[in-house]
Amino acid sequence: MAGFKKEKPAARANYPKLHASDPLAGFDAATREKVSLMEDYIMKNCLWQFNSRGWDRRKQNEGILGKTAQLLVGEDVQNETPLDKCYWVDAVLLSRAFRERCAWLAGMGKDEVQALMKILHARIDWLTIDGSLNEELTVQNY
Amino acid sequence: MNCEVKVKDRIGTINPIFTCQPAGAQYVSIGVKDCIGLVHGGQGCVMFVRLLISQHLKESFEIASSSLHEDGAVFGACGRVEEGVDVLLARYPHLKVIPIITTCSTEVIGDDVDGVITKLEEGLLAEKYPDREVHLLAIHTPSFVGSMVSGYDVAVRDFVKKFARKGPSNGKINFITGWVNPGDVTELKSLLKEMDIDATVLFEIESFDSPIMPDGSEVSHGNTTIEDLVSTGSATHTFVLNRYEGGKAGQFLEKKFKIPSVIGPTPIGIRNTDALLKKLSEATGKPIPDSLVRKRGIALDAITDLAHMFLADKKVAIYGNADLVIGLAEFCLDLEMKPQLLLLGDDNSAYVNDPRVKALQEYVDYPMEIVTNADFWDLEDRIKNKGLELDLILGHSKGRFVSIDYDIPMVRVGFPTYDRAGLYRYPVVGYGGATWLVEQMANALFTDMEHKKRKEWLLNVW
Amino acid sequence: MPYHEFDCSKVIPERKQHAVVKGEGEDLTSCLPKGYLNTIPGSISERGCAYCGAKHVIGTPMKDVIHISHGPVGCTYDTWQTKRYISDNNNFQLKYTFATDVKEKHIVFGAESLLKQNIHEAFDAFPEIKRMTIYQTCATALIGDDINAIADEVMAERPDVDIFVCNSPGFAGPSQSGGHHKINIAWLNQKVGTVEPEITSDYVINYVGEYNIQGDQEVMVDFFRRMGIQVLSTFTGNGSYDELRGMHRAHLNVLECARSAEYICDELRVRYGIPRLDIDGFGFKALGDSLLKVGLFFGIEDRAEAIIAEETARWKPELDWYAARLKGKRVCLWPGGSKLWHWANAIQEEMGVQVVSVYTKFGHQGDMEKGIARAGVGTLAIDDPNELENQEALLKLKPDVIFTGKRPGEVAKKMRVPYLNAHAYHNGPYKGFEGWVRFARDIYNAVYSPMHQLSGVDISKDDYATDKGFVTRRMLSDASLPEAERASPLTGYTGAFDPIAALRAKTDADYPQFERKTSSQAAE
Repeated sequence: MAGFKKEKPAARANYPKLHASDPLAGFDAATREKVSLMEDYIMKNCLWQFNSRGWDRRKQNEGILGKTAQLLVGEDVQNETPLDKCYWVDAVLLSRAFRERCAWLAGMGKDEVQALMKILHARIDWLTIDGSLNEELTVQNY
Repeated sequence: MNCEVKVKDRIGTINPIFTCQPAGAQYVSIGVKDCIGLVHGGQGCVMFVRLLISQHLKESFEIASSSLHEDGAVFGACGRVEEGVDVLLARYPHLKVIPIITTCSTEVIGDDVDGVITKLEEGLLAEKYPDREVHLLAIHTPSFVGSMVSGYDVAVRDFVKKFARKGPSNGKINFITGWVNPGDVTELKSLLKEMDIDATVLFEIESFDSPIMPDGSEVSHGNTTIEDLVSTGSATHTFVLNRYEGGKAGQFLEKKFKIPSVIGPTPIGIRNTDALLKKLSEATGKPIPDSLVRKRGIALDAITDLAHMFLADKKVAIYGNADLVIGLAEFCLDLEMKPQLLLLGDDNSAYVNDPRVKALQEYVDYPMEIVTNADFWDLEDRIKNKGLELDLILGHSKGRFVSIDYDIPMVRVGFPTYDRAGLYRYPVVGYGGATWLVEQMANALFTDMEHKKRKEWLLNVW
Repeated sequence: MPYHEFDCSKVIPERKQHAVVKGEGEDLTSCLPKGYLNTIPGSISERGCAYCGAKHVIGTPMKDVIHISHGPVGCTYDTWQTKRYISDNNNFQLKYTFATDVKEKHIVFGAESLLKQNIHEAFDAFPEIKRMTIYQTCATALIGDDINAIADEVMAERPDVDIFVCNSPGFAGPSQSGGHHKINIAWLNQKVGTVEPEITSDYVINYVGEYNIQGDQEVMVDFFRRMGIQVLSTFTGNGSYDELRGMHRAHLNVLECARSAEYICDELRVRYGIPRLDIDGFGFKALGDSLLKVGLFFGIEDRAEAIIAEETARWKPELDWYAARLKGKRVCLWPGGSKLWHWANAIQEEMGVQVVSVYTKFGHQGDMEKGIARAGVGTLAIDDPNELENQEALLKLKPDVIFTGKRPGEVAKKMRVPYLNAHAYHNGPYKGFEGWVRFARDIYNAVYSPMHQLSGVDISKDDYATDKGFVTRRMLSDASLPEAERASPLTGYTGAFDPIAALRAKTDADYPQFERKTSSQAAE
C-alpha cells in the first residue's frame, strides 16, 4: 500500500490512559439511558471494539465511533487509507442501526448528537480499555 | 517359503496403524475401579486419547493430565505431578489409585517419577490424607518406545506388580484378556461360567456398555478392584490370552510368585477357542461341558453355511494389534480364506519368533506377507501401485479410507472402531465371536456384491 | 467481582477467579474471569496442547500439503481423523498424515537425518504434492533438532518443493492457543510474500480464521464469489499453500475466528497496511451485516443486498419455524473459543433459546469479554471448565441442550442432557443462511428427540400413558405452542443432506460476470 508506514511496537504499546473511572457515571439518567441503549447494541452486535491490544482498541473506537458521529450528523467522511475505509464500513452499519433503534436521535441537534457520541465513545473506551480487566491488553506483541 | 516376514522398508510413517505407549496405559487405567490415571506430559497426550477411547466406546471416563507447560519442560515438572495428585485426591473422594503415566516429554526431561511417588507417600499422603487408602504407581511409557500395544502390556504388568500379594491360594485363575472390547469380556466370562471356573478377569471393562438411567446418575467406570489386583498373587494359574497385551504380567507373576503362566491362545475362531478351553480344562481339572459343545456346534452350523460357498479363497488384508491380527489370520485360514498381507504396526522384535508366525511361514501354501513396524501406506501402496488384489480388509477405523477409496469391503475389528455403530458391544473371541465375525464378513461381501453388481443374484436363493 | 465458586473446586481456590455470573448491572469492568493461564494439574481440563493448536487446528486444514510431524507416531495418530475440515481436493489432508516415527535411538543420537529421509520418502510417495509443513513435537523440541536447517537442505536439493516449519511443541503454552499463535507468526514470517498471486478482480480479500468445518468455507466463498470478490486465500480451511503465500496482496482481511487467527491479521495490518474486518458467518443478521460491510468496503453493497434478500426469502421462514419451537430452551455453550461469542447472542435473538452459560476451553480474556458482552443477565461464564465443574453446572443449570465436544458430550448424555458437537457440528455446515437453519434443525432434533423423552421415564415407578405406539418430535414441540403457530403453513428445514455438493458443482458460468474497472477508475 502506497504511503503506508509500519508502526514501531514499543511506541504503539505506549498508549495513555484516558479515564480513571466510568465516564458515564456523572451524567443524568436520560443520557445514561440513551448511551446504554447504544452501548448495548455495540456489545451484542459488534466485534471491532475487542481487538486484542489496548492501543488497537483505542484506534478502533476512535476511528469507528468518530466516523459514526460524523455520519449521524451528516458530515462528509473522508477515507484516506484502506484502514480509514474499514472504520467507515463499521461506522455505516452502526449509524444505520442507531438511526433505526434510537428514534430520538432524529430529534436531536448536531451538537447534541456529537456530545452524546462523545460520551458513548468515552464509555466504550472505559469498558474496553481503561476499565477493562483484560490483562492481555498491554502485551507488547500480537 | 511362501510367507515372508519383513520390516517396513521405509523409515517414516504414512498413516500410522498405532498410537503411542501412553494410550495403551490409559486404556488399562480406565479398567480399574476408583482409579484415575495422571498422564505426565502435555495436555494433548490425554485430551486426544480420551477422545479416541470415547469415540470407540461412546462413553466417557476420567483421565487427568499433569499439564506440562514451558516452565516444566525447561526446569523439570515433578512439582506438577505432586500438585496433580493432590488436586485429584482433594476433589475425588472415592479415588484410591493414581497411576502416573509418563510420556516422551517427561522421559526426555528425565523427571524422577518414582522418586516423586516416594516423596508423595512420605509427605502429602501421610500428612494430608492419613486416613485415605491411596496407591500411587509409576508407569513408564515413553512414546518413542514400542506402541500403544506395549504400553498396554507395560501397564498391566505395573498394576499387577504394584498390588499382587502372595496369600493362601484363592483357587482362582488370573485371566488377562488383553486389549479387548466390553463385548469380548462378556463372551469370555460366559465361557468361564460354563466351565465353572472362578477367575479374576483383568481388566473388567464390561460396564463401559452402560445405560442412561432415568435420573441421569449413571457413570461408566472399570470394575477391576484393588482386591482383584491384590489377589492375582494368590492365583493358581495366569491365563494371558494375548501374548503382547499381558504377557509381561504373566511373566512377572510366574517369576515372583511361581504362578504358572499360560500364554495364549488368542481365542479368535473355533480352533483357538477350543485350545483355550482345553488349556483351561487341563489347568483346573474342570471338564468342558455339553453346553459348550452345543454352543460350539451352533457356531459351526452358522459358519458352515458361509465358509466354503462364500468365503473360500477370498483374499484378505489384516492390520492392527499383533495378537488380534494373527488370531484373525489363523481363523481366516480355517475358513478357507487367503490372508495376503498382515500388518503389525510396531517394531516389536519378538514378532518374528512368535510360534504362530513361524507356523504361518511353515504351512501357508500361497504368497503371504507379514510386515512389522507397518503403516497404512504398506497397504495402500501395494493396492495402488503394486497390484495387490483384495476381497476384504479386516482392521480398525483409522484405515477406513483405504477401503473407501479402493472400494474394498471392510469389516471393522480391533481398536478403534468409531466409524461403525456399537461394535464394542460384540465379541470377536470365543464361539460367539467366531459366529459374529464370519457373519460380518459374509454380509460385507454380500453388500459389496450388490453395490458392485457382481453376481448379486447369487443371493436370490441361498 | 461476581465470582462463582464451585463446590467441587473449593479445594483449588485459584479456580474461583475462572468463573463468574453476569449479574444485573454488571459490565466488563466488573465481571470477567481470568483466562489463558497455565492449567491446574489434575483438574481434568478439556484443553489440548500447543502442538495440536498449530498442526491440527490451523496447519492441517491446508489441503494440498504433506503434513508431517517430527516425533513419535502418537501425536500424528491422535490428531488424525478427529476433525471435519473437508476440502474440495478429495480430502487429501484428512486422509493422509505423516510421522517421522522417532524412536529411542533418535532421542539419544538426534533425529535430523531421520527427518530428512522422511521428507524425501513422503515426497516420493506422493509425487503430485510439492508442498509440505513440518511440525515439531515435545520430543524433538527437547532434543533440539534443527528442523528449519533440514527443510532448507531439502529445498536446495529439490527445487520444486517448498516446506514450512512450525516449531510449536505440545508444552509451548497453556493450551492449543499457544500453537495458534506460533503458527500464525511462523507462516507470516516464513511464507507470506514469497509468491506473487494473480489478481483477477478489483476486490480481493483473504478469508482468515475459517477452517471449512463441514464446508463452512465453501458456503462463505460462494457468497464472496457471487459478489465478484476474489478470495485470494483462506487461512486455512480448504486453503491452498501457495495461495496463502500471497496473502500480502489482498485489499482486506476478513476475519472469522479471531481467537485462532487475529495474530496474522494484526501483523498484516502493521506490515502491509491491510485492514482487518472482523465478521460473523453465523446468524442471519450477523452474516448479513458482514456481507454488507465487505460490500461497502469495495463499493458493491448492492451485490451483498441482493444475496441477503434472496437467501433470507428462501431460508428465514424455516428458521422462524424452529425459533417458535425453541423459545426459552436453555443452552449451555462450551466451544473452544470463538463460537462462544459467535453464537451467544445470535442464537438467542434468532432461535429464541436462552443461553444460560458460556464456557471456553482455550479462549483468552478477550474471548470472554466478547462472550459476556453478548450474553444475558444470569449467564454463568467459565474459563477452562473441568470435568467436575461441568457436571456441577449441568445439575445446577438444568439445560435443555449443551454444545460441546464429543467426549464431554458423552458425560452430558449420561446426565440426560442432549448434546450437539460445537467443534465439528452434528449436521453442518452451520455457516451461511441455510447453515443457520441446519443448526436450528439440529438443536430442535436434539431437544425434541422422543428418545430423550423416553430416557427420563422410570418404568419401575412412573405411571405414564402406554396408549401410544410412537411420538413424533412435532407432537412434543407443538404441544404447548399457541394455536396460530401450530397452524402456520411454514415447515422446518427442506434443504439437502449435503448442501456442499451443489456448491462444488457450480462453474464460473454459474456466477455473475462483473466487468473490471479501468485503471483510471481503480485509482479513484
